Amino acid sequence: MRTNQNRPQHYELIRRIIYVGIALAVILSYFIDYRQKFTPSPESKKVFDKVESLSPGDHLLISIDYDPSSEAELYPMSLSLLRHCFKNGVIPVVMTPWPSSVGIAKKGCDEAAEDANSMFGKKVVSGKDYAFLGFRPGTQNLILKMGDNLKGAFDKDYYGQPTQGMKALEGVNSLKDIKLLVDLAAMGTVEWWIAYGADRADIPMATGTTAVMTPDLYPFYQSNQLIGFLGGLRGAADYEKLLEIPGRGERGMLAQSATHVLIILLILGANIRMFAGRFGRKNEGLS
Amino acid sequence: MSDYPQANELQAEASKRRQAIEIGVLALLVVAFFIVSLLRQNPFDKDADPAKAIGLIVAAGLTFIMFSFLYRDNPLFKAAEHLYVGVSLGYAAVISCREFLYPLVYQPLFAAPTAAAFKSSLLHLAVPVALGILLLGRISRKHGWVSRYAYAILIGWGAGVAIPLVTNSYILQQLTAAIKPLQEALGPKAPAHPFSPENFVGSCLAILGALVAMIGTVAVLFYFFFSVEHKKVGSAVSKLGIWFLMVSFGASFGFTVMGRLSLLIGRVNFLLGEWLNIQNK
Repeated sequence: MRTNQNRPQHYELIRRIIYVGIALAVILSYFIDYRQKFTPSPESKKVFDKVESLSPGDHLLISIDYDPSSEAELYPMSLSLLRHCFKNGVIPVVMTPWPSSVGIAKKGCDEAAEDANSMFGKKVVSGKDYAFLGFRPGTQNLILKMGDNLKGAFDKDYYGQPTQGMKALEGVNSLKDIKLLVDLAAMGTVEWWIAYGADRADIPMATGTTAVMTPDLYPFYQSNQLIGFLGGLRGAADYEKLLEIPGRGERGMLAQSATHVLIILLILGANIRMFAGRFGRKNEGLS
Repeated sequence: MSDYPQANELQAEASKRRQAIEIGVLALLVVAFFIVSLLRQNPFDKDADPAKAIGLIVAAGLTFIMFSFLYRDNPLFKAAEHLYVGVSLGYAAVISCREFLYPLVYQPLFAAPTAAAFKSSLLHLAVPVALGILLLGRISRKHGWVSRYAYAILIGWGAGVAIPLVTNSYILQQLTAAIKPLQEALGPKAPAHPFSPENFVGSCLAILGALVAMIGTVAVLFYFFFSVEHKKVGSAVSKLGIWFLMVSFGASFGFTVMGRLSLLIGRVNFLLGEWLNIQNK
């Protein structure tokens, strides 16, 4: 007979079995050569369509507001967005208001620039085909300053080149000259960019965020303050599918689905067990 | 407890045995980790990039240490946790100095090419630098009060700038959007013949969605409206508000689970793809 004393140990064992089950589901999915079929969400499609509608030479500002702890979800989005820009000749202007994001932002620019060469046969150069402005502190103040004078907020790019006269920033004086603002965020910066950046400069804005933050974006999407958004790994997979360049996002979908099915089964199993136990106890009491 | 000395001794003995088994298993795992690491990422290999290989081994080791928390809290996990915080802060400090303090504060003030350039820099930087230094007063208990001047300016300026922008973006535009779905479903933007066979399903869904959004907004707002007692109809509306809130929390929880699993997928991809160098198709 099970007693209350040995219950915690029993639960501890179940907890560990669940972890092992989820780990196995993710590991096994890695080895299965199967691309899961899925339809990109309307929110993701709107972001893609907006970038697709930009003309060569238009500027797209990407704010990298995540650090390596959110790389799994947001880095594939950065790569896809940058690849899309390079493919269409759109000039991405990349910056970050967080010191811990500089490394990952640079890695994304470098990798996408290499891909532009290998995938589209385009040799893209910093300062000419894209601008990597690096880091400036201040967050809200920085956004406000960029709204008035972008080159004043970033007088030099990450590599120390002056932004005045930089070919990649020709025609860009403030946020008003940006055709699309994209905030890739794992921190609460989306709302700052909306209020201090996009709404103030009256420019369209999209975001890519971690799945945890995604539900909070729907009110802004409904009010058209966001033209669309990429939510978590699924958002990254959507964009990769639309761009037709598979990457980490699409590859992660099978593992994502496998673990979701496992969790649903566990929830169902646990509930059936609970109700069955209650039913059994009720019957025992009646007899 | 002293009533059962034998039981206590048995328990202590079992605990010691368990601890010895755990240490043994841990030692085996560490040895296995290093063997696998050297087989897949040998930094001494003549074709290998030693810095990259060592980096991958350290990152894989730290990943396993972080996952060890799933078994139980342990000193290795604590050490890795502190290392993570320390490295993050150290990195941020170095980047702040390299990208901001050195080129934008130190160089214009202490390495100005001309006297005129120095004067101009001083004019622009004196107040912000002084306020920044005042903020450091927080370090001292005795002189902490000096930071209040800087905070007063920060808060006053911040509130002054934020209030109009935030009111517009988070309140006025959201209020407009809360009314808009019904307007979009029935207003001038709706199709000319909303109930024609080709528009029927779309129009019905738009109207249904608008009604759900409207009823949900009103019900949830009413749930948080405490000026009247929630009785009869009020109680029903309030309960409906709770249901909408529960659905919203459920959606948030679902997204949270998805996010956490994405992080796990990212780590597993790193371990298999980069550390073990097993390429999937």
